[in-house]
Amino acid sequence: MQTIRSYTQSVSAIMTLVMILSSMWAIPASANIVGTGELLTEQRAEIDREALMGMLEREDVKTALANMGVGEQEVQDRIQSLTPAELADFKQQLAQAPAGEGVVGIIVLFLLVFIVTDMLCATNIFPFINCIR
Amino acid sequence: MFGFWLKPNRPGLAALLGVLLSGCASQPPWPDSFNATTLNQVPFHPQEQYQCGPASLAMMLNAQDIEATPDELVDRVYLPQRKGALQVEMVAAARQYGMLVYPLEPELEHVLKEVRAGHPVLVLQNLRFGWWPQWHFAVVIGYDSAKGTLILHTGTQESNRQPASVFMATWDRSKRWARVILPPDQIPATAEPLTFLMAAHDLETTRQTGAAKSAYSAAAEAWPDQPAALLGLGNIAYQQGQWSEAEAYYREMTEKFPDINAGWNNLAEALSKQSLHKESD
Repeated sequence: MQTIRSYTQSVSAIMTLVMILSSMWAIPASANIVGTGELLTEQRAEIDREALMGMLEREDVKTALANMGVGEQEVQDRIQSLTPAELADFKQQLAQAPAGEGVVGIIVLFLLVFIVTDMLCATNIFPFINCIR
Repeated sequence: MFGFWLKPNRPGLAALLGVLLSGCASQPPWPDSFNATTLNQVPFHPQEQYQCGPASLAMMLNAQDIEATPDELVDRVYLPQRKGALQVEMVAAARQYGMLVYPLEPELEHVLKEVRAGHPVLVLQNLRFGWWPQWHFAVVIGYDSAKGTLILHTGTQESNRQPASVFMATWDRSKRWARVILPPDQIPATAEPLTFLMAAHDLETTRQTGAAKSAYSAAAEAWPDQPAALLGLGNIAYQQGQWSEAEAYYREMTEKFPDINAGWNNLAEALSKQSLHKESD
């Protein structure tokens, strides 16, 4: 519990950033038409999502997630529901990782962030996680 | 006796050492199929103190036949307190001249490809260390694969040759920031459709409507499978109140990409605007 508490600050900071970013994306070009940027963001997110799904096929990632007791289907559901901003954030973290290492760690950490926030009742993404409040 | 033995073998020893030691000096792999090129048409502006940003940007713009001097760019991009320019301001200033700024993938090969296609590349380097940075903008204007060097207009040096290892070390520390600045109707040699369209959209949002329009047109021609190009053209026409022109683009989009809702939605909007317009006539 104490350990989780100590994480809350950094987790909430990340979430705040994600929220700010995602609200920035939503600035419409005009009142009723769909802006070009919205379509582009959507398309980019689709490509990122496919790339992330592709990474789940890697054996080392599968093993790492299985060791954590997270099912593949749940992770796939989670990826499907990621917003473009979250995907972009993930891609950035991946790009900043030193070459050759850390890819598995980042994927797992990224998914873990959402599991932890689930536990703190900030989100409700993984139905198998019981909220601790 | 040893002298006698060594003397005739000295060249052999040197050769042996040369082979052994060259293994230690790590050379970044030079991508295949690049020989030598220098873009001589890129003019050179020596930088004044700390002002590599304005000087580099002026060179990039001059290369596209835009008259801009480092002095007039100083006000736009130079921050006296920071003794430098920020990347974001360099990009924004180039857009104000109606240019499309395309971010390159962080690979040496992409830089070389652009130079080979005749496009100078604006790069950011960190000439010192990560913890004590000295940021520096420069313009890559050529390369020479035989010598393994890149040719840059940098600082006060015109056509300075930098060994690829030195360039890569300093460029790595800026996370390999590189941009080409081109007229919006020209597509960079390494352009990816979505990245180019996003750069075009940046022009749209910064009120460079004409430039955005020609970028979208170029994209629609180069990549007929990209719906965003048509949507962008339609949206620009819509925002200018050209309802029937907007309708034509949206209609084309719904015909080619019937699965994308945005096209149908915007088509409906354009049609309703037109009928409102007719009623009021």
